Amino acid sequence: MAHSKGLWLRWSWRDLRSRWLQVAAIALIIALGSGTYAGLSGYTQWRRQNYPASYQALNTHDIRVATTKGTTVPEGTLLGSLDQLEHPEWLAGAEERLIVPTQVDASAAGSTILVPGEIVGVDVTGGGPDIDQVHVMRGRAVDEGDITESRVVLDYHFAEHHGLPPTGELTLSGGRTVDYVGLGFTPDYFMVTTEQGSLLAEAGFAVMFAPLQTAQELAERPEQVNELVLTLREGVDLDAATAEVERWMDRVHPGLAAEVTPIDEERLYRLLLDDIDGDQKLFRIFALLILGGAAFAAFNLTGRIVEAQRREIGIGMSLGLSRWRIAVRPLLVGLQIALLGVVLGAGVGLVVGSLLSDLHESFLPLPVWEAPLQPGAFLSGIALGLGLVFAATVYPVWRAVRVDPVDAIATGPRSTRGSGVAPLLRRIPVPGSSIAQFPLRNVLRSPRRTALTAFGIAAAIAVLVAVIGMVDSFLSTIDKGEADILGPTPERVNVTLDFFYPTDAEQVQAISEVEGVAAAEPGLALGGSLVDGSEGDIDVFIQLIDFDNELWTPTPVEGSLETESPSVVISEKAAADLGVEPGDTVTLRHPRREGLVDYSFVESELPVSAIHPNPYRFMLYMDLDDAALMNLEGIVNTVAVEPEPGVSGDEMKRALFGRDGVAAVEPVADVAGTLEDAMEDALGFLDVVRGAVLVLALLIAFNSTSISADERAREHATMLAFGVRPRTVLLTEMGESLIIGVLATLLGIGLGRLIITWLVRVLLPSTMPDITVWIDVAPATYLTAAVMGVVAVSIAPLLTIRRLRRMDIPSALRVVE
Amino acid sequence: MAMIELEGVARRFETGAGRVSALTDVDLRVDTGEFVVVLGPSGSGKTTLLNLIGALDSPTEGVARVAGRDLTQASRSELFEYRRESVSFVFQTFNLFPGLTALENVRFGADVAGVDDAPAVAERVLVDVGLGDRAAHFPAQLSGGEQQRVAIARALATGNEVLLADEPTGELDFQTGVQILELLRADAERGAAVLVVTHNREISRIADRVVELSGGRVVSDGPPPEGRKPVSDLHW
Repeated sequence: MAHSKGLWLRWSWRDLRSRWLQVAAIALIIALGSGTYAGLSGYTQWRRQNYPASYQALNTHDIRVATTKGTTVPEGTLLGSLDQLEHPEWLAGAEERLIVPTQVDASAAGSTILVPGEIVGVDVTGGGPDIDQVHVMRGRAVDEGDITESRVVLDYHFAEHHGLPPTGELTLSGGRTVDYVGLGFTPDYFMVTTEQGSLLAEAGFAVMFAPLQTAQELAERPEQVNELVLTLREGVDLDAATAEVERWMDRVHPGLAAEVTPIDEERLYRLLLDDIDGDQKLFRIFALLILGGAAFAAFNLTGRIVEAQRREIGIGMSLGLSRWRIAVRPLLVGLQIALLGVVLGAGVGLVVGSLLSDLHESFLPLPVWEAPLQPGAFLSGIALGLGLVFAATVYPVWRAVRVDPVDAIATGPRSTRGSGVAPLLRRIPVPGSSIAQFPLRNVLRSPRRTALTAFGIAAAIAVLVAVIGMVDSFLSTIDKGEADILGPTPERVNVTLDFFYPTDAEQVQAISEVEGVAAAEPGLALGGSLVDGSEGDIDVFIQLIDFDNELWTPTPVEGSLETESPSVVISEKAAADLGVEPGDTVTLRHPRREGLVDYSFVESELPVSAIHPNPYRFMLYMDLDDAALMNLEGIVNTVAVEPEPGVSGDEMKRALFGRDGVAAVEPVADVAGTLEDAMEDALGFLDVVRGAVLVLALLIAFNSTSISADERAREHATMLAFGVRPRTVLLTEMGESLIIGVLATLLGIGLGRLIITWLVRVLLPSTMPDITVWIDVAPATYLTAAVMGVVAVSIAPLLTIRRLRRMDIPSALRVVE
Repeated sequence: MAMIELEGVARRFETGAGRVSALTDVDLRVDTGEFVVVLGPSGSGKTTLLNLIGALDSPTEGVARVAGRDLTQASRSELFEYRRESVSFVFQTFNLFPGLTALENVRFGADVAGVDDAPAVAERVLVDVGLGDRAAHFPAQLSGGEQQRVAIARALATGNEVLLADEPTGELDFQTGVQILELLRADAERGAAVLVVTHNREISRIADRVVELSGGRVVSDGPPPEGRKPVSDLHW
C-alpha cells in the first residue's frame, strides 16, 4: 500500500512536470490571489492595532468642549469650574487651549506658499501638553522657554508636502513672524482636514502648535481660550461622562454656546477607525475576486489535465480500480498546485503588505506604526487559496471518474463528443472559409471550457473595472463638487475673518477696497447640525450668503432660492438621508447669539427651499437675510471676493494677506484641487491591486492559450502538414482568443459595474456618510479593460509562436489520443 | 513523368544515445499516376521517408525533388507553398478537425490548396467517397472508416499531384480498409502519384510498385511478384 501511495505521488509529480509552465502560471495566479488577500488583510490588522495605539501614545482626549466658532472665554473659566461636575473624580486630566485661524506665508525662494492654517495654543508648562501631546517627527518640541520667543512646531504633513526644512521662519496674518523649531502633529491632525470637508489637506492648510500664551498673543486674544479637552479615568463610561459634561455646561455656563464631543464622535477619529472596516470590506471583495479568478483558472487547468488523462482513467476503470483511487492522482495534482500557489502567495503577501505599509507611512504617518507578520491574515489567505483551488479541482475530477469506462477509453475525435449545449452550439452556421471558421468553431465546440476561461479573465477585468471605476467615480464626484462650488466665478477667493464683524465694520469694508478686488460679498459661516431622530444628527457647515448676490449662489436641482420665510438649501445626500424634499421641514441645530459674545445652540424648524447638487452632505446654505434666526443680523465672518480680470488667486492672497481682520484667504479652486490631490495620494493602495490584477489577467490569458496550444497540437500539426503557415495557425488561435477576450471583457465590465454599484449603494453610505458618490466610470477605464481583456488576451497566443515553429509535425501527427 | 525523385537521401537523428540513421542512401522515383506501396517492419524508416517527401522533415544528405521542386534547396516559405499546392496527406489516426463537420473538413483541404469554388468541390468529393449524406456530421459522429474516408476526401479535394498515406488502414477493419484503398487507387488512376506506407504486406498486391525498406535502406523496388491485383482480390 505504501508503495501504491508513493506511486500516485510520483505519478502526480510527472503530471506536474509535463505541464510545468501552466503549473507555474496557475501557481502564480493562486499566489497573487491568496497573497493579495493576505497582504490586504494583514494591512487591516496593522491599522486596527496601530491607530488606537497611536491615539493612546499621545494621551488623546476623551471629550472635547469647543466654544462656538469665533468665540472665546477667559482662560480658567472652564478649567476652574470642573469641580462643579457631578463626578469630578471621573476626570484623569483637563487642559484648555486656543485654536485660531490664520494665514501662513511659508514661501521659499522661487515658490509661493501662502495658505490658510491655524494656531493651536497648548499648555506647555511642565513639559506639556499632557493631553493631545505633540508628536515631533523632526527638530524639537516647544517648551516654556519658547513662550516669549514666538516659537512654534509646524505641522509635519504640510512641511513634508512642500519640502520645508525642520526649522525656519513663517509669516502669519498681520505680518507677524514666528520661528518653527520642529515638525510634528497631534492626534487631531493625524490627517489634516478642513472645515470644508477636505481630507489630507496638508498641501493647503498649515497648522502650528504653539505655547498657549504665544497663540493668545499672535491672535490678540490675551488670556482667552476656546477649547477644553478632558481625559477620563480608566473604566469611566464615555457616554455617561459626555452627558454629564453637557449638563455641567448647561448648569454652570448657561450663556456659553459650546459643542461637547466625545472622541468616538470626532470626525477624524471616526473616519480613521470606521475607514478600517470599510476598507477591509472593499479589500476583501477585491481579494476574493482575484481569488475567484484564480479558482476559475485552477478549475480550467485541472479540468484539462483530467481531460487529458481520460483514457488513463478509463484504463484504470477497466482494471477494476475504484473511482476514489482513480481520483487520487488528479486530486494530488490540484492539491500540489494549490500548495505551491499559497507558498508563493505568502511571498506575494509579504510584498503587498510591505508596499501598503510604506504607502501608509508616507501618507498617514503615526507615532506608532508597527507592521509585524500577521499569521491570522496569512493563514486565512492560505486556507482560502487552498480551499478554493482544491474545491475547484474536485468537480472536474468527480465528473471524469463518473464516465463509463467504454467512453473513457475511446480514442480520437469520438472522445470529444461533448455534452449539454455543445452539440447544439456546434450546429450554428459560421460564414467564411474553413480556416476563417476555426476561431468561432473552437469557441463553440467546447462552451464549458470557453466559459471557464472567459470567467477567469472576466473576474480579473471585473476587479480592474471596480478598482479604477471607483477611483473614477470619486474623482468625478470631486469634479462635480468643484464645478458646483466654482460656478460662474472660478477665480473667486474666500476670505475668513478672525472674528464676527458688523457688515459695515472697517475690516470688512477695507477688503472691497483692496487693489485687484472687483467685488466682495460678506457672509456668515457657522457650525451646526441637522437633527435626525432615527440615524443621529448630520453635522453641517452653515453658510449664509446673499442669495441675490452676483458672485455665486447654490444651483438648485430641486426647489428654488426664492422664499419668503427663513429656509435652508441642503444637499441631495442630506435630503435623501433625512427623507425630505423641497417644502418639507427639517430641524436645524444652530448657534444663536445671546449677548455680545455669548452664544447658545437652539433648534429651529425650517422648510427646505431647495436641494443643491454638491456631493458633500454637510454643505448647507441659507440666505444672509435669515441671519436674524441666529441673532446675527448685520454680522459677518466671511467675505467672498472676486478678483479683477487678470488678477490671479496668488496675487489676491498676497494683497489680502496681513490685512486687519483677515484670518485666512483661500481661492475656491484650491479646495477642490486639494481634494483631488488627496484622493490620488490615498488611493495609492488601489495601484497595488491594479498591478496585481493586470498580471493576473495576463497570466490567465497565457495559461489558457498555453493549455489550448497543448491540446490542439495535433490540429496544428495537421494544418501545418497541409501547408498552412504558422502565422495563419497563430491567427486562428488569436481569433479564438479575441472572441473569448471580447466575451470576458463584456462580462468583466458588467460584473465590475455591479460591484461598483454595490459598493456605492451599500458599502459607501455606511463608511462615507458625508459624501454622495456618483457612479461614473471614465471611458479610459473601459479602454484599459478592453485593451487588457481583448488586446492582451488576443495577443497571448503569440507567446506560443516559438513552440509552433519548432513543432515536430510528424510526432504530433502520430500521437494516438 | 517523374513526380517524386530521391537521390542518395539519408536522414540521421542525433539522440542522447548517439546518432541514429533512419534512412541511408535512398534512391526512389515515383511517376505520375503510379500507386506505390512502401513496405517494411517498424523502425525501417517508412514514415521518415514519407515525411521527407511531404516536406515535413528534411534529409541530412541527398536530393529530394518532388513535383518539379528541389525540396532540399527550398526555403521554409517554399516548403509551405509546396505542401499547400503539391502534396496532400492521409494519416493513420485520421487527424480530422473535431470542431468542423465532415464537409467543412473536406473544404479545409480545398481552401488551403486555393481550389476554385472550394465549397462545390468539397461537396462533390465527399459524395465521391460515399459520404454525401454525412456532410453535416462532426467527426465524433462518424465511424472510424467514415472518418478515414473524410480524411481521404480532404486530401483529394486539394487536387494536388502527390498523395501520401501513412498506414491509412491501420486503424480500420478489413471491409473499411478495402473501401479506403479503392479510393486511393482511384486517385492514382486519375493521375496522382500515390505513395502508401504500410507494414501490411497484403496491400502491396494492388500496387504498381512495391518498395521495401529495412534498416533505413531500400532492399527491393519493383512490381508485386504476382503482378498488380485488383482491390477486390485483397484479404486479411
